[in-house]
Amino acid sequence: MTLYHFGNCVALLTPYYFTYKYSGLSEYGAFWKCVQAGGIYIFTQLCKMLVLATFFYSDTSSSSSGEFNFFAEIFRCSVDIADLLGFALILSRIPGKGHSKLITAGLGWATAEVVLSRGIMLWVGARGTEFSWIYILKCLESNVLLVQHITTATLIWLFTRHDLNKALKPLVSLLLAVTVFKGVWLEGMIHILAIGPWLTVAVKALVAAIIGFCTLHIYSGLAQQIGI
Amino acid sequence: MNEADSFAEIFRGGLPHCLLIVFSMLLICSPVMPSEFEVISMTKFDVNGQHFGSRVSAISLEARSLYSWNTSRHCVLTRLTDLSIHDFDKLRQNAGGLILMLPANILDLDVETRELVTILEQSMLSHAVAVPIYFAPYNKDLEKIIDDITYTTTDSVATNQTALGQLIVTVSANRYHINVGGGSIVANKNSKVPIIQGELIPNQLALKPSESVTDGQKLPVILITANLKTFGIYNDYPLNADAAVLFALVELFSKVHYTSSMAPKYRLKFLLSDAGLLLNFQGSKKWLEVDDNALQNVEFVLCLDTITESLSNNPDNALYMHVSKPPKEKSSISNFFKLLKSAAEKYSNGLAVEGVHKKINLADSKLAWEHERFSIKRYPSFTLSSVKSPRSPIRTTIFKNDESQIVEHTLNASRIIAEALASFMYKVDSASGIFDGELAIKEENLLPYFGVKSILHNNDVKDAFEKYLSNVKIIYDKPDSRDPDFMFYNDHDVKLNVYRVKPAIFDLFLTIVIGIYLLTVFLAIQYFPRLYEEVSKLSKEEPVGQLNGHSSERLKMKSH
Repeated sequence: MTLYHFGNCVALLTPYYFTYKYSGLSEYGAFWKCVQAGGIYIFTQLCKMLVLATFFYSDTSSSSSGEFNFFAEIFRCSVDIADLLGFALILSRIPGKGHSKLITAGLGWATAEVVLSRGIMLWVGARGTEFSWIYILKCLESNVLLVQHITTATLIWLFTRHDLNKALKPLVSLLLAVTVFKGVWLEGMIHILAIGPWLTVAVKALVAAIIGFCTLHIYSGLAQQIGI
Repeated sequence: MNEADSFAEIFRGGLPHCLLIVFSMLLICSPVMPSEFEVISMTKFDVNGQHFGSRVSAISLEARSLYSWNTSRHCVLTRLTDLSIHDFDKLRQNAGGLILMLPANILDLDVETRELVTILEQSMLSHAVAVPIYFAPYNKDLEKIIDDITYTTTDSVATNQTALGQLIVTVSANRYHINVGGGSIVANKNSKVPIIQGELIPNQLALKPSESVTDGQKLPVILITANLKTFGIYNDYPLNADAAVLFALVELFSKVHYTSSMAPKYRLKFLLSDAGLLLNFQGSKKWLEVDDNALQNVEFVLCLDTITESLSNNPDNALYMHVSKPPKEKSSISNFFKLLKSAAEKYSNGLAVEGVHKKINLADSKLAWEHERFSIKRYPSFTLSSVKSPRSPIRTTIFKNDESQIVEHTLNASRIIAEALASFMYKVDSASGIFDGELAIKEENLLPYFGVKSILHNNDVKDAFEKYLSNVKIIYDKPDSRDPDFMFYNDHDVKLNVYRVKPAIFDLFLTIVIGIYLLTVFLAIQYFPRLYEEVSKLSKEEPVGQLNGHSSERLKMKSH
């Protein structure tokens, strides 16, 4: 019965497969590229951990009590800039054409994140006797993260393009900043408004959709311009 | 094809071994996050071949409220105060387990509820119980769970009659799975009931020169006995006012013996044993068997039993003298009774002394009072108690009143008994007030003895006896290996785990919802190229946009 619940949670992660299958990645044989992108994700996270452990004072007592510490979050998010470097690394190292390159980077990154950060929690927790909504919520949230990571990959790609319209450059930078510091402003807002867990996922999905749409708009313009 | 190659490439290296290790590690990881609570198991013991308390200890069942359980696959989780005798009678045979949450403070309850609790206690202690019973100390989280299971069931019965409503309730209901560990319950081979006796020998100096020590030994004996209650429905220490009174008497009379110049006409013997009523007064039975001629020259046996009601609902302020046959006029018991009455009139604050006569029922498996053990052997004996009926549930309760009330009542009672006893022993007028002034019984004399837990506990009792008495002896009553009179059982510390679970139908329901969601996502991805086209059109209108129809066509192709 509880294994069934675990199955339910895993079923919620099927959009990853859909993305892979129906965006054309499977036709390009991009599986290995996704795995490589995941490898770079792991490398980036290790570097981040190293930096966090070395330079930042970890206040475990405040984070465990569930309080929102503004400055600690800002520091944490500034380390997340490393994520952007990771994306840049993926985009520069892994060959690919046009759209598929971006989806490969985003999907590989997101999959590695899901497996590494949610996998054990799901396996141990969702299979247990105790029922909790948190596993379903986490799985839904990873769907949102998938959209967000593909968006981030696109933004980084746009950022590195020299043929991007100069007028759009500040907008791309702004969107990147918004994405990186989402931990501060979005979590802070959720904390202040005391939004419940279900609504939190909905708000995150909405934010990801808005950023995604803006990015898509900019991207489609450039894509037509350079003809991919 | 290419994909398959990629897969093969992964598995060619040492990856499967890594995966094996990872999966075995994951399997070891046990599920976490249950709510854990302290629980106390109900006492388990045998007396005269009857079993009390369940011999089963483990529970792994669904938690149900008192109103919704129906099979032995349900474990009932409820408050002690909600349980009625009728419910308990059904539960103790048919349910799968019973977990009772104790009230936060027994003194906050009203009189009727308290009475009910004690009656329930008595019922638990006098019936064989097939199901495991645990008591959980008051806990807010546990109370929430109890409220949750009670609320869900009553609600579903009351309001939702339609099939859809029923379905929604079934799907959304929280269920709880209860898990109590606990190993096998084995009889404790070292079960024993300790009995301690001591004697107050008259002051040598007070004796006349012609009387020698041996003459002192020939004086008639007054035996005072009491029992230490060492357990109740669970393993805790009930109020032991009787032992406190006994110790107060020991202390007082040893003082009197050494200070007064009067020579007593009697020897005083004291007997204290563990576990009285619940073990059918095994201690005094054993003592009578061992010391056959100890009571050859006995004046009377005075048993103390529940001198103070530990949970007095309405203290009727009386001291009852229970006898097995009405004492004859001029006999020592009737004399003592009269002295007790006059002492009560003089010193007590409205404490009445009454005599109660109850014949010994030999057909009963259990004796009603301790003095019956002595009366059967034709020793003159009686019991002093504050309860009138031997069936009073107060005698076995584990719950206590607040201490100040108890101490006051106990002081009062011990004063009367001491006065009556002194005037009987020294043949003085009861009005003389021996225990005034220097010899007065004070709270300080009594208080330390309320903490006495068992005769073997830290040697406290032994030390106290040796300080004041001579011929102190501890004997042990051990059950016969083939036909044990009584038996104790080993207890384990156990924890109660409550898991929140959902019914099977809930997960089915969830699968359907997830299926719908996935379908939506699938369609969204299918239609993504169309969205892209629309966005492209938007971008086209901008001056920078250069038309290039290739991209959208290509995306379309990919999606097929």
